[in-house]
Amino acid sequence: MEIDLQAVRRVFEDVLNGSMLREQADRWAHAVIQEEETAVVTYSPPRERERIWAGVMYLYGIDTMTGPNAYLHTDDDISRGMIASIGAVGDEVADDNSVGSRATVATLHRKQVGPHH
Amino acid sequence: MTFDDLRPDMDAASLDVTRTADATTERPALTIMVTPRPIPPTSSNEPLSPERLRQIDRVFFGPFFREKYGAAGDKALQNSRIRYYGPVQPTNNAGELVGRRYVHEFDTMTGMTRGWHETLDRMGNIRQIRPERDDGIKRHYQFDSNGRYKGSW
Repeated sequence: MEIDLQAVRRVFEDVLNGSMLREQADRWAHAVIQEEETAVVTYSPPRERERIWAGVMYLYGIDTMTGPNAYLHTDDDISRGMIASIGAVGDEVADDNSVGSRATVATLHRKQVGPHH
Repeated sequence: MTFDDLRPDMDAASLDVTRTADATTERPALTIMVTPRPIPPTSSNEPLSPERLRQIDRVFFGPFFREKYGAAGDKALQNSRIRYYGPVQPTNNAGELVGRRYVHEFDTMTGMTRGWHETLDRMGNIRQIRPERDDGIKRHYQFDSNGRYKGSW
């Protein structure tokens, strides 16, 4: 399985624009974590591993609730969480010298763990 | 169901976590062979203290879990388990609740792991947990500020 920063960012954005449920984002992150535990996950580019993982770990549990039908996090929380974990849009471009890796469209080779749209 | 079934050593979770400044920069390949401090010599007839055994466990197993799950610290429990604490993901939405974090627990005796999300209040008390279940069912268990179980849904 290969995962890059754009894939993680896309899940955040899909949650924020309403095209993905938080529950789906949580399960997507859980699937990535399961892959990390049981198989080899390739981070692209490798030096972004920490940011990618931080984003995945934020998304894991993003649907935590404080009561039935009441999420813990606001959209504002999630926006801030996205920036705190994976950085603002363009961060990965500004300091990335590996053009080839950057140009790679978000890839999740295993369809069962891909974001649902 | 008792409280301990859900969340043993709850008080220790937020109060006695050992922070590791280098947790995010450690690399397993580099650290697995490293022992931070030499273990004091002991008599061959003298068993290591439980505290010492827990310390050794933390050092030995740390590289496998700390980088992924222990960014905010880890703690070796008396029951041969080690807990790894993720960062608190803050919220500004929930009154007395300050955020959530993921906790990953490794049993050094069995090799089994388990994990849960916990929601904290501003005093650092754990007010809710949501275990990661094998069947994928998400259930939230709530506690009051004194740690008493309130209910679940």
